[in-house]
Amino acid sequence: MSESIMELKNLKKTIKGKPIIKGLNFSIQSGEVFGFLGPNGAGKTTTIRMMAGLMRMSEGDVYIQGHSVKKNFKEAIQHVGAIVENPEMYPFMSGRKNLVHYARMVPGITKERIDEVVQLVGLENRINEKVSKYSLGMRQRLGIAQALLHKPSILILDEPTNGLDPSGIREIRAYIRRLASEEGVAVIVSSHILSEMELMCDRIGIIKNGELISMQSVNDALEETDKKEVFLEAEPINEAQGVLKEAVNGKVTTQGGQLIFTAKREELPSIVQKLVEHNINIYGVTVSRSTLEDKFLNLIGEGAIE
Amino acid sequence: MNNFIQLIKNEQMKMYSQTATWVMLIILAVLVVGIGVFFKVDGMLMEDSGEPSENWEEQLQAENEQLQQEIDKEPGFSGMNEETIAMNQYRLDHEIPPDDYDAWNFVQENRSNISLISLLTIIVAASIIANEFKWGTIKLLLIRPISRTKILAAKYVSVLVYAITMLLFLYVLSFITGSLLFGFASINEPYLFMKDGEVQEAPIFQHTASQYLLSSVNLVMMATFAFMISTVFRNSALAIGVAIFLMMSGNTIVGFFANQEWAKYILFANTDLNQFFTGTPMISGLTLGFSITVLIAYLIIFLGLAWVFFTKRDVTNA
Repeated sequence: MSESIMELKNLKKTIKGKPIIKGLNFSIQSGEVFGFLGPNGAGKTTTIRMMAGLMRMSEGDVYIQGHSVKKNFKEAIQHVGAIVENPEMYPFMSGRKNLVHYARMVPGITKERIDEVVQLVGLENRINEKVSKYSLGMRQRLGIAQALLHKPSILILDEPTNGLDPSGIREIRAYIRRLASEEGVAVIVSSHILSEMELMCDRIGIIKNGELISMQSVNDALEETDKKEVFLEAEPINEAQGVLKEAVNGKVTTQGGQLIFTAKREELPSIVQKLVEHNINIYGVTVSRSTLEDKFLNLIGEGAIE
Repeated sequence: MNNFIQLIKNEQMKMYSQTATWVMLIILAVLVVGIGVFFKVDGMLMEDSGEPSENWEEQLQAENEQLQQEIDKEPGFSGMNEETIAMNQYRLDHEIPPDDYDAWNFVQENRSNISLISLLTIIVAASIIANEFKWGTIKLLLIRPISRTKILAAKYVSVLVYAITMLLFLYVLSFITGSLLFGFASINEPYLFMKDGEVQEAPIFQHTASQYLLSSVNLVMMATFAFMISTVFRNSALAIGVAIFLMMSGNTIVGFFANQEWAKYILFANTDLNQFFTGTPMISGLTLGFSITVLIAYLIIFLGLAWVFFTKRDVTNA
């Protein structure tokens, strides 16, 4: 976390007199994966479009490596690689031709660089096929290849795992992490799926109705000292419940053959040990990671889109 | 400048990667060859274009005498006949035998296919921006270090390149087809025409090429119009429809308002520049200079509107 690659300063967007984005201020550092989280309609895509110069800003500005997107678009945008929404490519051309197309628009991209990027996203065997024959996952990869051609210092990915199968999601996730840690690229990932963000991001900004309502690093959110929900499968269940009540000094409920209680992470070994001492058979202990999700839901609330 | 050429290369690559572009080219080719074959078969049946006769001079003299008699009988309808007499006399004086139907005639015949090229160019002009929005690729296109103005200009120039390619294709193909079917003709063959009551001579190549170019004025104007409509409304179907409708009804519109004082400012009153070289203008008071000024004014308006909408407007959900 060294220099700040992108800075949003009082970014606002008003469409037909209605404020859509109400003043965003934050910055993103190099090597950081920043999650941009919010329910549908919160303004994620509008913000991303303004970052990429596709929409005008009503007020404020976005600075990329110190260059204003508003006043110095060319200087600013050349550090940006992006996929905005779906990775839409020309379906009637081969993957390679699509890349050649975008390569021509930035000076200095060699044929070797194209090959390098193709290899990076693992498309070398299919790159000469028409994009219309690609699966969604392959298009997503081609989209990332396109965004990386000119070695950007910031990568903006709008819903990068949308429509991917689990193995594809995993691959993209690993890939994004690698880019950030090895190449020092700053990555902005938008999503409305929280569990995904937790696994991918260093820091998450939550946006609701055009306002940034929370900003936290993923590790903070999962503080060791926090009490977490624990699911326990044990036999006999009634005896176990009694032991647990004593051990955690709190409420223990049963649900579908499982015991549910809350405890700090550090307390768990001793609790398990107590159960074992009482000759209770333990079949499984699961710690829920829902803290962030709870926080998220609390923050977002039931509130509808304004 | 260098990356402008790259942009045009991109547009051409996209154009010729689409099946539709090739279908258009094939339609044009089939039409040219088809018309040629039809003329050939039809000509053979009628058997009227024989070998150039030995005694063409006597024939022309006979024709002139006959025409002169007609003029004497009906002095009112003499214009055409007088022209023919003058041309025949010119041939006699300069020993230029009347040419048979050859490749050059076929090239001239195929000038009517420029209206088909107009149609195809309108389709290309109307789609070149609207399709980027339809495919969603506009977003990836505009997040490059290139100004929107430059991208728009590259697209417009690409439309013109397409039109020129099609015109060249038509010209060359009809010359080749004509040569194969009706006999090869020299590029230097003289072409006779009347100007200011006098017979003039020009190389046929120059004449046909300038005819093709003059006939393309309407093409360029309507393609630019379609380009503007599709950029403003981001809808290619609308642009194609309106442009083709206007192209078809252009002359009717001018005819309808011909008596109004402002009629000469109507675009379609000025698109036929041929009228200044052969024949009289549809509307009195038109000059070549005036028409060119009006055409340029329309071009600036069309391109200006396209520019304003393309560069200023947000790219929202395509």
